[in-house]
Amino acid sequence: MDRRTVLKGLAGAGGLALTGGLSAPAIAQGAAARTLRFVPQANLANFDPIWGTQYVVRNAAAMVWDTLYGIDSSFQPQRQMVESEEVTDDGTTWTFKLRPGLKFHDGEPVLSKDVVASLTRWSARDPMGLMIKALQQELTAVDDRTFKWVLKQPFPKLLYALGKNNSPCGFIMPERIAQTDPFKQISEYIGSGPLKFAKSEWVPGAKAVFEKFADYSPRQEKSSWLAGGKQVMVDRVEWVIMPDPATAAAALQNGEIDWWENPIADLVPVLKKNKNISVDIGDPLGNIGSFRMNFLYPPFNDVKARRAVLMALSQEDYMRAIVGDDNSLWKPLPGYFTPDTPLYTEVGGDILKGKRDLDAAKKLLAESGYSGQPVTCLVAQDQPITKAQGDVTADLLKKLGMNVDFVATDWGTVGSRRAQKTPPGQGGWNMFHTWHAGADCVNPAPYTAIRANGDKAWFGWPTSAATEKEVASWFEAKNLDEEKAAIGRLNKAAIDDVVYAPTGFFLSYTAWRKNVSGVAKGPLPFFWGVSKSA
Amino acid sequence: MLSYILRRIVATLPVMAIVALFVFSLLYIAPGDPAVVIAGDQASPEDVERIRQSLGLNRPFLVQFGSWVWRILHGDLGTSIFTNLPVSAMIGQRLGPTLSLMIVTLLLTIVVAVPLGVVAAWKAGSLIDRVIMGFAVFGFSLPVFVVGYMLAYVFALELEWLPVQGYTPLAQGFWPWLENLILPAIALGCVYIALVARITRAAMLEVLQQDYVRTAKAKGLGQGGILFIHALKNAAVPIVTVIGIGIALLIGGAVVTESVFAIPGLGRLTIDAILRRDYPVIQGIVLLFSFVYVLVNLMIDVVYTLVDPRIRY
Repeated sequence: MDRRTVLKGLAGAGGLALTGGLSAPAIAQGAAARTLRFVPQANLANFDPIWGTQYVVRNAAAMVWDTLYGIDSSFQPQRQMVESEEVTDDGTTWTFKLRPGLKFHDGEPVLSKDVVASLTRWSARDPMGLMIKALQQELTAVDDRTFKWVLKQPFPKLLYALGKNNSPCGFIMPERIAQTDPFKQISEYIGSGPLKFAKSEWVPGAKAVFEKFADYSPRQEKSSWLAGGKQVMVDRVEWVIMPDPATAAAALQNGEIDWWENPIADLVPVLKKNKNISVDIGDPLGNIGSFRMNFLYPPFNDVKARRAVLMALSQEDYMRAIVGDDNSLWKPLPGYFTPDTPLYTEVGGDILKGKRDLDAAKKLLAESGYSGQPVTCLVAQDQPITKAQGDVTADLLKKLGMNVDFVATDWGTVGSRRAQKTPPGQGGWNMFHTWHAGADCVNPAPYTAIRANGDKAWFGWPTSAATEKEVASWFEAKNLDEEKAAIGRLNKAAIDDVVYAPTGFFLSYTAWRKNVSGVAKGPLPFFWGVSKSA
Repeated sequence: MLSYILRRIVATLPVMAIVALFVFSLLYIAPGDPAVVIAGDQASPEDVERIRQSLGLNRPFLVQFGSWVWRILHGDLGTSIFTNLPVSAMIGQRLGPTLSLMIVTLLLTIVVAVPLGVVAAWKAGSLIDRVIMGFAVFGFSLPVFVVGYMLAYVFALELEWLPVQGYTPLAQGFWPWLENLILPAIALGCVYIALVARITRAAMLEVLQQDYVRTAKAKGLGQGGILFIHALKNAAVPIVTVIGIGIALLIGGAVVTESVFAIPGLGRLTIDAILRRDYPVIQGIVLLFSFVYVLVNLMIDVVYTLVDPRIRY
């Protein structure tokens, strides 16, 4: 073997890898005039909206799969794939008829059997679906366009459940795909939504492509969130994953991308100064910051200790740590429900209002019997929102005289450790930080974090009989007034027992190039109605 | 030579086996749970448990390890927990961008660093030497991401000469491919250029004091011929060694560079997989990186024989 042989061999190997030997993505191609390049909030790492319930999966899935109903901007379910529905007087038997001409992306018609299989899979994973399933007597296809859902007792929120935008949504898939075990991932991404998923172009962690579905027949009504006519105005939507916010900001300024879903607050002033870029609040439903205390172990197994923390915490401190000085991005939240939505209430929220009383909080903590044991506080450092909240909490607990065991780690570790029910010193925990999408907190249906049914509740396992009673009252409510009354009582009960600690309500911006129009405010980015000029 | 290369390749097998065991064990005991990430923030503990079961993550260590090794022996790196795609396909998607970045960086380094080092040694103690070595210290001290942001700001945002981010395969044209790699390669190459320039200078200084260099000068050979034909060739062994070792630096630096310039390469795949606890992908990539590193060492040994005929195996 001589020098030339070695060099030729190296050149050959390199050439093979760089040209024909390997498929490689084309991320920075000159964008076609009718291609919308979008930077989503996170990586689309999987694409089964029932199996994986992350928001980013739901957002992508809403383009590809359609729903029977769609929630509009007034939180009302509107018909989407359904043409009509009938319900018996006793409210137990629902008969639905599908719109004519609905097609899947593989050209097959959407039939009732597809709906039945899809709803069966969805109802095995979705909290509301599970409630319906518990009441279900039968779910059957009557004919190709008609299906029937018979319940043992009425479920007044049925249409809301079928149209809700909280993950997992009731997406309709072909029967062969929907028959996949709900705890296993699908491998075909065929829907009947306005855009098709280009699986061959999918590079997880880098790019996902969606193409306009020519055979989609939109409704005639004006679009409103997941409801109405989903008119797609571009040929192609390219999701470009950018883990670095500074890069995304530069790419938007440079015209290499068209729309950035959630620019971080620090970079917004730069974007606002650019005459080619529009910046506005993306999701008016925002987010609710929170930390959860473990009800199973001292000190937070005592309601007095939990109330002491609530009494001392300043939501302004938390919100400023998250969003900075921009006052338009946050609000105090003396309760658990999303501000500016129909069921918003402050009933029972006095403990979170007004001047913070550290002395009273210390006194209450002493009454709880707290004697200086370490408080294990889990804080994910790779999530700016949890890191900011964790730093404020650590300071708060120290001011209260608590002995803080600050566990700085990553979100993946918090995710698994928070599921541990062992004592804090043995791999368990006392508190962790997170946040909830405001869209999930508009009512108790998708609001897992508000539930207080002990072992079955979300991490922290709160127990509050009064809270659970009012959750049930809301589900049984027959009109808005009854719903509001139930939510008022629910808010008070949850605050009294401190199901979790709300740290405030905050919003975030979205930013797009000015040659893009039709960007709508909502709980997820809607791609219908969005157009782009050259 | 051929038998030596074959012996070395065979010798990599136990190394790879140890790496495999180490990586698998480390991931097994590391905190974190992919089922939690998959299920999402609102999932119930029961849902998480069902997903964990369906992924086989509840099985005993030896069962999981045995089944993984069995698949590896059959050339199957497994399937990503998250994407449901074969790990080999995911690595294949990402290999091109990373390889491109490394090759351009490597070429840039050799073209810039070696002449700089040679000139610095030739002009040792002069202002030129001090400027070059000052640049080397500067390049070595600046973090990759700082250089990356500065380059992107100046050359992409202000001057609009080059794109901020992305990657275009070579098959779609040489310039589109190169224009996406220029800034990342400079950012990634800064540390590497500084390192190679300093080593080249040190190696050249030693060689330039040898008798045969004085003889070459006495014979009236030109300065270029002395430096680049006679001296550099004899100084090449430590330079080649450092260039080879530097490939490991490049792999580490590529993780940051690919994030800053949104290049869909193996570095970003590694970070994504670690954050999500996508065990099969992490294991596949670490095995690949280990193999590359072993291969690079082998190549360095082969190159020794090309630059120094006294070395024979």
